[in-house]
Amino acid sequence: MSIAEKMAANQKQVAISEFFEKNKHFLGFDTLTRALITAVKEAVDNALDACEEARILPDIVVQITKVDNKKDILQLDVEDNGPGIPRASIEKVFGQLLFGSRFHAIRQSRGQQGIGITGVVMYSQLTTGDPTHVESKIAKEATAVAVDIGLDTRKNKAVKSNQDRVDWGEKVHGLKIRTSMKAKYQKGRKSVWQYLRMTSIVNPHADILFIDPDGQEHHWPRVTEKLPGRVEAIKPHPNGIELGQLQRLCGESSESRMTTFLRRNFSGVSGRAAKELCQVAELEEKLKPKSLKPDQVRALLEAFQGERMLRGNPVKLLNPPTSCLSPIEELLIKKGLSKTIDSKFVTTMTRAPSVTQGNPFQIEVGLIFGEGMAADKPVEILRFANRVPLMYQQGGCLLTKAIESVDWRQYGLDQAGGRGVPKGPAAILVHLASTNVQFTSEAKEALSDNEVVMEEGRKAMLEMGRGLRKHLEKKKKMGKTREKFELINDIIPAIAEKAASLLELPVPDLAASITKIMSAVIAETTTTWNKETKQTDVSILLYNYTSRARSYTILVTWPEKQGGKMIGNELGGRKEATGVWAWKLETLQPGVQTVITYSLSDIEKGDWNETDVFYRGSQEVIGATKMDEKLLDEIRRQEQAFLEDNEMDEEDARELSEEDEKESLSIQEEVVSESDIPADTQDDSKTDSGETKQTTLFGGDY
Amino acid sequence: MVAVRKSVEETKVALHGVVREMYDRIIKGDPPTMTLPVRTKNNIAFDPKLGVYKYGKKQTIRDATSLGSAKQLLRALHVIEFIEAMIDDGKSSTLREMYYISEGWGLGKFQSQNESNNLAEDLEIVTRCLREDFKLRPEEDGSRMIGNITLRERNRKGQWMRINARDDVGDSGYGVPYNVEKEKIEFLEHDVKFIMAIETGGMFDRLVENGFDEDFDCALLHLKGQPARSTRRIMKRMSEEWDLPVVVFLDGDPWSFRIFASIAYGAIKTAHISEYLATPSSTYLGITADDILAYDLPSDDLSKKDVEALNAELTDPRFADGWWQEQINMMLEIGKKAEQQSLAKYGLDFVTDTYLPEKLAELGLN
Repeated sequence: MSIAEKMAANQKQVAISEFFEKNKHFLGFDTLTRALITAVKEAVDNALDACEEARILPDIVVQITKVDNKKDILQLDVEDNGPGIPRASIEKVFGQLLFGSRFHAIRQSRGQQGIGITGVVMYSQLTTGDPTHVESKIAKEATAVAVDIGLDTRKNKAVKSNQDRVDWGEKVHGLKIRTSMKAKYQKGRKSVWQYLRMTSIVNPHADILFIDPDGQEHHWPRVTEKLPGRVEAIKPHPNGIELGQLQRLCGESSESRMTTFLRRNFSGVSGRAAKELCQVAELEEKLKPKSLKPDQVRALLEAFQGERMLRGNPVKLLNPPTSCLSPIEELLIKKGLSKTIDSKFVTTMTRAPSVTQGNPFQIEVGLIFGEGMAADKPVEILRFANRVPLMYQQGGCLLTKAIESVDWRQYGLDQAGGRGVPKGPAAILVHLASTNVQFTSEAKEALSDNEVVMEEGRKAMLEMGRGLRKHLEKKKKMGKTREKFELINDIIPAIAEKAASLLELPVPDLAASITKIMSAVIAETTTTWNKETKQTDVSILLYNYTSRARSYTILVTWPEKQGGKMIGNELGGRKEATGVWAWKLETLQPGVQTVITYSLSDIEKGDWNETDVFYRGSQEVIGATKMDEKLLDEIRRQEQAFLEDNEMDEEDARELSEEDEKESLSIQEEVVSESDIPADTQDDSKTDSGETKQTTLFGGDY
Repeated sequence: MVAVRKSVEETKVALHGVVREMYDRIIKGDPPTMTLPVRTKNNIAFDPKLGVYKYGKKQTIRDATSLGSAKQLLRALHVIEFIEAMIDDGKSSTLREMYYISEGWGLGKFQSQNESNNLAEDLEIVTRCLREDFKLRPEEDGSRMIGNITLRERNRKGQWMRINARDDVGDSGYGVPYNVEKEKIEFLEHDVKFIMAIETGGMFDRLVENGFDEDFDCALLHLKGQPARSTRRIMKRMSEEWDLPVVVFLDGDPWSFRIFASIAYGAIKTAHISEYLATPSSTYLGITADDILAYDLPSDDLSKKDVEALNAELTDPRFADGWWQEQINMMLEIGKKAEQQSLAKYGLDFVTDTYLPEKLAELGLN
């Protein structure tokens, strides 16, 4: 070893132990409460990532126990059912700072955030002097490995002790961590509880059990068996690359032609674009990338960034593929929110993927509204980046700003001056899925400003706001209908009775008065979950409180697209469009009522809380909306177009995938080799996200 | 429409009239209704015969086509039933007690005390009875009075007690009961030149301590802010029966102007019985907008609400005369208001030694 090398090594040794001390706040260990949250976060994120890669539905148990009250020493236990870590890798994962496989792959992952589990081991050792106990079992071994891991901070190396084998009984694979640390358990908005609660919302496929220091259990059950879509690594896009990275790519390339190099190593570059890029960068197509001079690399970068143009325009590049993103998707956000916050109205929206500076990203939002939450407080904001909860620095975060940029007053929430965080009984969820999440600082708690992302977020908020407004309007209408019923069923009869008894006269007949008071046809709709049958029962009562006979067609929305089935529908009727059913009713005589009932099966509790009712007919129906025939036509037209599109898409997809296979082979290999995938892989879970947004009867909520 | 005291039978008949209106409408196949005058400043008019403001001809029909109105009608029926029972049993109740009793009225129960108070007033208006006829009494007690006035009051045991409101009372004065009608109070004799009504307790106590009532031969009456009905009624009776002038000494702000209007011309809320409660011969003594300038009184800026109130007063028929328009406009112009007790700027005796004598001299009362 040369002297220079020795010096460099020394420098590194000092740096790594001091690095932690000096950067405690970046790493999330600056306060006693935050240290605990960070530790839970590192362990839980790892568990979720490992399960996802191994296609396992995660069962995670987190327990915090008091060890020494006076000295604030707590013990943290985290157990998962993930693939486990092979014995040889344990010390790398737990004992080496910045060990990780994901640093070069361009795709969405939780692990981009935070220092990793080694930070926890180090913090534990620094504050208690104790090692971290790890037990790991992989499927192909009969017993689990148990080992205590400490750190030699000078050498950035793990110190193993008490290695042993333990019998786990029935459990086939998984990981257990037990570590103690100086930390404080706290309740509220910034707590382990909140972190796990938020995690459970965006990971509806996970079952999370938390046992707090008081021994109280908090359970967030799994609400879907569907694993998040498998994320693929993608090649960098020319728009998002930096000079250094480009130089490295050129230098490491073994390609013999520039055009091949461009097509194979970047996403969004077609054969034509590769030629044009060479042309504007004044590079010979035959040139070997390895032989590029710094000036030439710079010229190529300028071509990438559109600074060098072809006939006055930047070279046209395709967008990077968005298959590298794993959105949670509307229905699952809905379920996640519904299980965590008990409320009647949820609206969610997943925007189509978009690109900023060569990085694909996707915004998802959810809004839950209802009585259970405080009406006079700011709404709860639930921020996430790549399915990881962001709990600090709410004010400075791009996602918060997107919420604040909307005038919520028009959608039924309070907001002083139409700016800032709105007030009301609601929670707003925002999730950014991206291959490259940009934070304001190393603390990684707030997203930095980006106009494109902001605009996407804002659009999603507006869409959700419209859904909320519709809901509130409908609620108001229903409230009015209920009032009318109370009026004629309870109050008017009470007035008649009391007046008659005071005057000592007979109680008069009310029919004529009631018809005059109502002078309307009224629909009363109930949509309720039936615990026993596990079905959603719907009933629509129609009363004719006018003095003439009336005839109507009644139409309803129902969850056809979500896979629901309509059963027990004795009146028959017919399908008007996807998700819209209609009944032509017999003439309704004055003072007569009729009822439509049916049940919805094959959907779960909370999937369908409200039924929209429409009518065709001349006299207004209170409690239903007049059918907008133009809108219905539009829906039918879109449906048709959508079906045709889909057929075409499938053909396209086949062709494309054949081509892709050849090109992406090298990267795919890398990715797969990084993780140990156990035998019981479930691989049927690529979600079908091809659905385009279309006009609906209810503000894009179905 | 002049309200007169009704006999028990007349009261019952009047109340049955309200019930009858509802019953007959149902028989005809219409929604039940209750007809009553509009109770806003847009529907009060000066009655030259009575010298006070009364409700005009605008009527509102409360019909049972909305849930809120229908509930009001149902409540009215419950209240009528309750009143009849009290009349029959020889009982009475406070408005607050009635509010709590309504807990047992099911759909007809009151949501707030305000509702029950308003409904009692509605019934007074429609039936032209007084709430005393309904055996309902207010929660608020009357005011207190000090001065050389002798009256007799019938006590709980039905015996008449002779009371001199200067010699037979302590520093807090004679407590005015909620009922000051003839069956309860009779005026015997007096040795005062005028009655001074005072807004705040602090100022009332100041004048009492300084012996103002004896030095200036007057009776002092504490209004306690917006005066209760019994306070206005006793002022009215003394002024009428003894032909005594009434001067009103209030804070200098828009709300005091309203207090004065309700004393002198009748309150909007009780315009159906203005001739019972209002004292048209009363005079506003101060604090005027002029006084704030003339005496250079410590003052506060008008709030947004104050300005709104002043502007509303400019279009209130009770403030239509020139002097009031001038005062209101002046207050808006200087943008200031002052409390009675700001006179203490010049010492504790300034009000009794200087301010009041000067103001009374202007009115020819000193």
